[in-house]
Amino acid sequence: MKDLKHIHYYESLLESAHNDLVRQAREEGGVAVGYTCYYIPEVLLNVGNAFSVRLRAPNTGSLDISQYYMSSLVCGYSRAIMERAFEGGYNFLDAFFASETCQQMNRVVENIHLLDLIENEGFFHSIIDAPMKVTPHGVKHYTNQVKTRFLDLLAEKKGVDISDAAIRQAVKEHNEMCDIFEEIDQLRKEENPRITATEFHKLCLVSYACPTGKILPYLKETLEDLRSRQPDEKNPYRARIVVVGSEIDDYDFSELMESCRAYVCADRYCYGAIPGRQRIPISEEPVNEDGEDLLTQICRYYLETSQCPRFMSREKVEGRRELVKQLVEEYHADGVMYEQLKFCDFWGYERTLAPVVISEELGIPCMSVDRDYAVRGSGQLMTRVQAFVESIEIKKIQKGGGVQ
Amino acid sequence: MRLEKDKTGIARHRRWRGLKDTLYDYGQWLKLWGILIEWALRHPVLNVRAVFRYRWMLSYLTVPSFFDRLAGRMGGEGLRACRMNLNTVADVVTKDLEKTLMADEHLRPGNPNSKKIIYMDELIPKLVTAGFSDHVTILAQAIPAYLPSLINQHSPVHYIEASESYGLPADVCPLPSLEAGIAIEDDFPKVGCCFISCNMPCDGSIMTTTMQDRRFNLPTFPLNIPLRWTREDTQEYAVEEMKACIAFIEEQTGEKCDWGKLKEACERVNEQSRLKMEKWELNRTDTPPFIGGGSWIYRIFSYEFGCANPRVLANDRKVNVILRKPFEEGRAPYPYPKEVRHRAVVWNTPANMYAHFNAWIAECWGVQVVCDMIDLQGTQIIDTSTRESMLYGLAKMVQGSTMRVHTKGGWEVIMNDLWAKVEEYRADLIVMFDQISCKGVAALKGAFEEQARARGVRMVWVEQDLMDPTTISRRTMRDQVNQYMQTVMGETPLDGDLVDFDDSEAW
Repeated sequence: MKDLKHIHYYESLLESAHNDLVRQAREEGGVAVGYTCYYIPEVLLNVGNAFSVRLRAPNTGSLDISQYYMSSLVCGYSRAIMERAFEGGYNFLDAFFASETCQQMNRVVENIHLLDLIENEGFFHSIIDAPMKVTPHGVKHYTNQVKTRFLDLLAEKKGVDISDAAIRQAVKEHNEMCDIFEEIDQLRKEENPRITATEFHKLCLVSYACPTGKILPYLKETLEDLRSRQPDEKNPYRARIVVVGSEIDDYDFSELMESCRAYVCADRYCYGAIPGRQRIPISEEPVNEDGEDLLTQICRYYLETSQCPRFMSREKVEGRRELVKQLVEEYHADGVMYEQLKFCDFWGYERTLAPVVISEELGIPCMSVDRDYAVRGSGQLMTRVQAFVESIEIKKIQKGGGVQ
Repeated sequence: MRLEKDKTGIARHRRWRGLKDTLYDYGQWLKLWGILIEWALRHPVLNVRAVFRYRWMLSYLTVPSFFDRLAGRMGGEGLRACRMNLNTVADVVTKDLEKTLMADEHLRPGNPNSKKIIYMDELIPKLVTAGFSDHVTILAQAIPAYLPSLINQHSPVHYIEASESYGLPADVCPLPSLEAGIAIEDDFPKVGCCFISCNMPCDGSIMTTTMQDRRFNLPTFPLNIPLRWTREDTQEYAVEEMKACIAFIEEQTGEKCDWGKLKEACERVNEQSRLKMEKWELNRTDTPPFIGGGSWIYRIFSYEFGCANPRVLANDRKVNVILRKPFEEGRAPYPYPKEVRHRAVVWNTPANMYAHFNAWIAECWGVQVVCDMIDLQGTQIIDTSTRESMLYGLAKMVQGSTMRVHTKGGWEVIMNDLWAKVEEYRADLIVMFDQISCKGVAALKGAFEEQARARGVRMVWVEQDLMDPTTISRRTMRDQVNQYMQTVMGETPLDGDLVDFDDSEAW
């Protein structure tokens, strides 16, 4: 297939957290708010002149300094973020919002604060307490935390407009972006997809790492290009895989999968499109039929759609597996890969038990791997993926189907 | 020559502590045997079946040796407090063990007693269910997992290996890994009309709950305790969760919560807390009367397991009378260790597999551990004047649960409290446990180092893996202290026989 429009520009944007569009937005008076997790409602960081930047640490090398401060048994993503902060890579941030969602990421933010790593006058951080199940009082608690510890601080310290009108505008822009993603997402369901998994991964990453308003025009043009794009005659993929697990902010992962001729047809991992790139439903009226105001509606949406394994109520635990099953059906997947960033406790447990349920109870081929933050050239991972693809093909042969 | 044999750690004979203390110690040892034999003979067939059904049951046969290790070379008031505490633990635990086995559906399928039990996570104090007197509350992980891991260092290894064979990464904390292994092997007693799980103390514990929940297959209420628990703006949520939990238990048991009984229980807990605070106060003096595992293990037990238990409260009262006495009489309590070279604060989670570490460091290097982080929990006094205030106090007390009272709530909680305790107890040394799989604390390692250096406080790091001796052995833990004391402090041991020995096969 010919190169997708803007794809090389997207790659350049992903070279640094402080990319061109972030720089532009700040030069225009924007307030850069860093975050790392779905628990932080992205759309609410895009109110008024604030804009969200989901933090990455591209081209991570040595982690020596962060290892001294955080030990070597903390997840690679946390250590990479900490290391990049030491290197001055996040000095453009005006604020860093976090949740005590996972202890390791929480400690990153605390270390950044303790060591005063962000050299930006007026920089501040805030950490919320977030529930681990969805209940009416949990939604109320979460909404209150988001309001008092994120929005009010943005207004107070940075003069950001946090009015309902500003929030509605942020949701509108977010939904506009999600419409683009939902249309592109449909293309991943095609038998011979016209978008590669790596390309989709890049689009998704730039949408998280750049100001929404700035990246939207580019994404629109990319969608136009995709509408008329023709796939290669021969489908190059041997298996379609749903990837589920912890944070992947490096499109090398998708490239590695594709090098094994495995197509990531659905990305149900942190930084992926599921959840995150679906429309947020809000009422036109100030309150919805349940009497919820705008902020509550948005916060409830985030709690209900979050697929983080820290949600411990049974309906959420079973819901996570049910969603994976639905994705397999909807995206015509041949199997599921559960991946865990090494030392991530939440996904460590999830990838232990869930694959047993998925493969033994639901009968869906499933593999489970742990991986480093940077996966480029990981021979071990490649071998595992190749073996999984082969096992899927063997199963197809045993069932009487053909292989490509 | 050491009293204990190399490798196995079996004592050659009972320790001589002087006539009076030896006789007292021997009497308490016999009393312990009495408790165990009485328990065994009440339901001999059932107990034998339980020994064959549950691997962890074997660890309980070694309890007398465990208590001896904790008592170390103590004498006087400390010895009495230690023995009284430990025998109280034995008394209460054997009764709960009896109730558990009597209701166990693994030992008797369809056992009707099972439905009279509220199964609850061990990190939640039993006080939460004190209003349900028609039902018995059993802390799910306490008897099969936590206590055996203290009693016998080898007890968790099989279950941790089972978890890892199942696919659980080896870097997770051994405590939840052990619990997951017991669930995988179906070695939790099968009891309960419902299960109250919780998100304490750490990320791993949240996740192991999903494995246990799947095994128990009971109606479950996941009690969410705020993580930023020191903040006032999280308390409304904490109280709402407590109310929802009580409503859930009412629904599952068919029993209405007796708020009067809950109030009485809260008042007993308040007294327990006051007595604990008095013990801390006594340890702030120049002559701390009671230190060691017999103190912190009992504190964990009395906060969770023995919470509001009249038997435990009675023991607390008696122990405090004994500990108070030398101060009232204007004399120093029995000195332990014989020569005190350093007053130390022990921070982070102690190693269950080496519960008598404090005794060793005292007897070998003269380090008197006057304050243990694990000992500091849940002493929030509950205002019982109204139902609302009681629920607020109860919710707040639960938030201050074992370990998470320091590991959750932000860096300030675990770091600032350490510096405060160093001052309060006038400590000149910090023994910092580097529990290698505890990522929340590990991620502050550099900050601890730098702040200790800035404050001029000496800190010895001791790596351990909580309850997995196959990762870091007791001997390796001792080596780290030995090296620090010899090279950094330039000291010689009080007892050279204790510097290096092999106890790899000991319980």
